Amino acid sequence: MASSRDDFIIAIRSAFLKKSTQQKFSLLTLVFVSIFIILLSSLDFKVIRYLKIGINEIVYRSSFVVSIPENFIKNTFIEITDYSTFFNDYKKNKRELSQLKSSNISSEIIEFENKELKELINNYISSSDKILAKIIVDHDSPFLKSIIINKGSKDNVKIGTNVYDQSYLVGRVIEVNYKTSRVLLLSDLNSNIPVSIVPQNIQAIVTGTGDNYGEIKYIKDISSVKFEDESIVYTSGTGAIFKSGKPIGKIKNIEDQSDNKFLVEFFSDFSQLKYVFAEVTINTEIENKIEIDQDNNQNNIPITPMSSKIKILEDELKIIEDINLKFKGENDYLKMKVNDLNNQISNFKNEISSQNEKIAQFDLDKKETEFLKMNLYYGHKCRRSFFNTKGFTVGSDEYRNCVLNKGRKN
Amino acid sequence: MVKISSRNSLNRFYSWLPIALLIVSVLNEFDFNYLKLDYFSFNFPFILIFFFTLKDFKHFDYLIVFLAGLINDTVVGLPLGISSLSYILICIATSYFRNITIRPNQIKDWFYFLFIISLINSINYTILTLFFSYTLVLMDYLVNTFFTFLFYIIFVSIFKFYLKGVND
Repeated sequence: MASSRDDFIIAIRSAFLKKSTQQKFSLLTLVFVSIFIILLSSLDFKVIRYLKIGINEIVYRSSFVVSIPENFIKNTFIEITDYSTFFNDYKKNKRELSQLKSSNISSEIIEFENKELKELINNYISSSDKILAKIIVDHDSPFLKSIIINKGSKDNVKIGTNVYDQSYLVGRVIEVNYKTSRVLLLSDLNSNIPVSIVPQNIQAIVTGTGDNYGEIKYIKDISSVKFEDESIVYTSGTGAIFKSGKPIGKIKNIEDQSDNKFLVEFFSDFSQLKYVFAEVTINTEIENKIEIDQDNNQNNIPITPMSSKIKILEDELKIIEDINLKFKGENDYLKMKVNDLNNQISNFKNEISSQNEKIAQFDLDKKETEFLKMNLYYGHKCRRSFFNTKGFTVGSDEYRNCVLNKGRKN
Repeated sequence: MVKISSRNSLNRFYSWLPIALLIVSVLNEFDFNYLKLDYFSFNFPFILIFFFTLKDFKHFDYLIVFLAGLINDTVVGLPLGISSLSYILICIATSYFRNITIRPNQIKDWFYFLFIISLINSINYTILTLFFSYTLVLMDYLVNTFFTFLFYIIFVSIFKFYLKGVND
């Protein structure tokens, strides 16, 4: 018994401490180093942060290079799958595009109104820039859903920067390096987004599930809530982590939701992202800070709250003028169309009258032919002659009536 | 002479192939997740490290395994050091197993591998949820462990061919 315990201790000690000829460190040393690194990474020291940023930069770039062959295979696979659904997608996109075009003008106005109201509330101008970022690492890990983009602190990306696929929100930045950043996707289990659901106007939190859909949580009295199929889910802006009014997804298959579990189907397919937009926001206080606008540089007009509001109103006016121009153009076009149609109608009328004339002429000719035909048969009965003194003079109306009546009627 | 030198460099590359494969796999997360097979995932570095440290392969340096763990943490986005600890724990387990084994048996190795990866994934899960407040799905870990266990036997037969080639 004692001998087997000794064997166990010897084996363990040997496993931990013995170095083979090739090994430079014992395993026990490496275990301690690992634990030390874990502890350090949980503490937020400046030196460690810079060290991590350095490692991240090198590893992300290397990962991008190493992933090229696999990405090629992956993209080929995705492209082949895409081709099978290409036509349906095209039709759907075309329909959606026409709908979007029609709603674009009104949303522009709403956007400006929104901007103006926000400015009145916050007393600062929030100017945002969407910068295009390429996804350099996208390893669809089963545990953590995140991507690496090629924009970092150099491009004003900060922790919390919102990231979009077109206009759909896909996540936020959780780690910033000099030229790269890590984006936590909405589908990650650790992602929680405050949302509004329309048309019911319900406030809720959408949590990632690890798949390409989220789950609605934290609704007061969920059992009484009635969602419509395809209800739109967008960010409410509560907590100021995400900007408000950014579309996320729609409620998925409410027929199946017997256990009060509502799922949100994200608009964006996170597995097929290649480029995203990072919204870099710069807040400029307008009460304390007076800046010279670039446009007004030549005139040296300082930016004051009033001037910025005037600028917004000017922008709004410009949009209204644009809309007016558009309507005017449409009006001219419609007028032209009406004129064309009137011309067409008058042409048709002319054509109809000429056709009527032709028909009348045709009827006349038909009657004459009939008369001549009957004249051949009955002309001798009606014609005045030596033997027929009661007949009529050829060419007179009586003669014509006589022929048409197939001879004289006594 | 040139022929001999090119053959030597080829041999050298061949003998360092497992380490190269380990580095590529941690950088690339070589896991077929884009196939979108529900629940499917496996941990290739675990298989690679377990097999080559069990066989005490001469170029499989523990320090490189440790660094590979750091790279994996950076790529996946886990706290730095977690994967290194996991990989080193595998090395310790294989070193212990090698010490106590007199007659190696593939089936025994296989089930010992299952025990070790289950233990290490449990440690991983515990550290991440308790100390770093990560939200993780336990089922994903279980499925990952199961598929890694299943794939072990397939990869082992390939690695054996490789070892045979190196020894020849």
